[in-house]
Amino acid sequence: MAALGVLLWRAIRPPAANGPAVAHGDLQSALVRWTVAPEAEMRVLLDAAPDPRTRDWLRALSRAGGSVRWSSSRPIGAAAVAAEPAAEPNGGTRVRLVSAAGEPVSVGDDAGAIDTLPRGGAAELQLAAVAGAVHASGATFTATTEARDSVVLRPVLVIGAAGWESKFTIAALEERGWRVASRVRVAPNVDVTHGPLGTMDTARYAAVIVLDSTAASSAAEIARYARSGGGVILSGGSARVGGFPLIAAGRVSARVAGVAGAVASAAPRTGLGGFPVASPGADAVVLESRDGVAMIAARRVDAGRVMQVGYDESWRWRMAGGDEAAAAHREWWSRLVAGVAYAPVVARSARVTGVDETPLASLVDALGPATRMDDRVAPRTDAALVTWILFTLFVASLLAEWTSRRLRGAR
Amino acid sequence: MGLNAGRFPIPNSRFPTSGEFVFATAQYESGDWDSAPLVPPNLIDSVARYTSLPVAPTGAIVSLASDDLFRFPLVFLTGHLPVRFTEGERANVRRFADRGGMLFVDDHNHDIDGAFHKTATEELTRAVGPLSKLPNTHSIYSAFFKFPDGPPNTSHELNGWGDNLVHSHLLAARRGDRIAVLYSNKDYSSEWGYHPDNKRFLSIDNTKFGVNVIVYALTR
Repeated sequence: MAALGVLLWRAIRPPAANGPAVAHGDLQSALVRWTVAPEAEMRVLLDAAPDPRTRDWLRALSRAGGSVRWSSSRPIGAAAVAAEPAAEPNGGTRVRLVSAAGEPVSVGDDAGAIDTLPRGGAAELQLAAVAGAVHASGATFTATTEARDSVVLRPVLVIGAAGWESKFTIAALEERGWRVASRVRVAPNVDVTHGPLGTMDTARYAAVIVLDSTAASSAAEIARYARSGGGVILSGGSARVGGFPLIAAGRVSARVAGVAGAVASAAPRTGLGGFPVASPGADAVVLESRDGVAMIAARRVDAGRVMQVGYDESWRWRMAGGDEAAAAHREWWSRLVAGVAYAPVVARSARVTGVDETPLASLVDALGPATRMDDRVAPRTDAALVTWILFTLFVASLLAEWTSRRLRGAR
Repeated sequence: MGLNAGRFPIPNSRFPTSGEFVFATAQYESGDWDSAPLVPPNLIDSVARYTSLPVAPTGAIVSLASDDLFRFPLVFLTGHLPVRFTEGERANVRRFADRGGMLFVDDHNHDIDGAFHKTATEELTRAVGPLSKLPNTHSIYSAFFKFPDGPPNTSHELNGWGDNLVHSHLLAARRGDRIAVLYSNKDYSSEWGYHPDNKRFLSIDNTKFGVNVIVYALTR
């Protein structure tokens, strides 16, 4: 009878007082309830960053006039993930992600796991093929992204003197799928040419590679090309000739020899000689160093990018390196070019949905920063649960009463 | 048999410095790998004469079984006698071709059914795959000098020596669109085997095609 009384009271009682409605765990039922019967003040206690649907629902409740605040039972890790098409001819997707250092992050796509970062932090992955969306998951978040664009890649122009570095640079890029035009000097005023040659502009070339001083007479044209958005790689000692010092990332040091036999080691480029980049400019970024001196550095020049690569005999790596040397040499050259290439983006026609690249930042954007859960605002017991418990007690009492009466008759 | 089968002093092997082209001759276990010692200095002279390539004044000798092979992406191989590669030589030649090196093989016998041709083509097929005719329009024939009719004929072919044939094509094994092995039955080893100073007695320098082979190797 008492349970029946409580149930009746709950049915006819006036609406709850002005205290906030609190939900935690599975928010689905609370969201439905708050949508049907809006609360003035709603609070959610989160264990992890909510998925975009839940977040958007909370945002909608907030925009509908209610006050929605959130707290977390543990710190939610900040994370971001982005995917973009790699400027390489064989396609591929470049995934950049960053998360709170120390928290393990697993990376995968719709087909399954791809890689794991045991300590989180920042990382860049180049994935040859991606099935659907890319996910980066930690204990308190799942960030999702998808490449939205594709790029247009034009040929690469290689300029140099006839020699093994020219031959194997051209070969590496062609074998990697780049269309290569080349202008290789074999005698005074005699060049061996290959591929589409013409005016040096971004409508024709994705990048220009200068291997040595033979391009000195074209330095002004190449600099103009860089300033208009083109990508230029100044290899070996070429950065000190003609007008190239004006666009180079730094000065050209005296040549240093490679470590004998090291091209077959785990660090093959230590076996290569080259011209270190001295005094990189304030706007230059050192991309590779050896024994404290920069070997690769890059900078922006107006709309374009210029990379200064000190190595001048990378062909030795390909010829005399370990079993994977030829493939590694190809990939290395291709990635250098991709790093500077002019690659205009073409948006895909299909609309990309369901991405959630910054779960925590998006949550803050939707609901504002986290608020401390006030001790006085203890999570309100779910009313439906109480109702069910009381209903069960009531039915059990009726059953007990009925059984008692039946047994009394049997005696 | 070519005219320069005699033994001449072989220049000491040297390793290329940065940017310098070194003409390398292959040394192999079987046969007479050093049958044309005057070819390297003659071609080095021609490269220096016609091009601006930095070229080492002396050639190098490199064992096909040695890791030093990979220091010389263009290697010249000749001989009169049967060629049988050792396992190490065969593996190295295969790896050399896969990495992008180019082996220029010339039959010093100028004898299409002779011991060198049969055995060398067998060995090369086992190492790098079958040899096929190289079209006479291939870019190697226009890499520097123009040879619109394909490989230039040698005096030995025109005089009916050897197999009494004028070989219309060179053979090649390729990797992609690049030549990995260039094979000649034309006996350039005899045609080019003379002291460079004697070029002045020739109305047309017959080593020009050798320059094309080197320029092609250095640019493609």
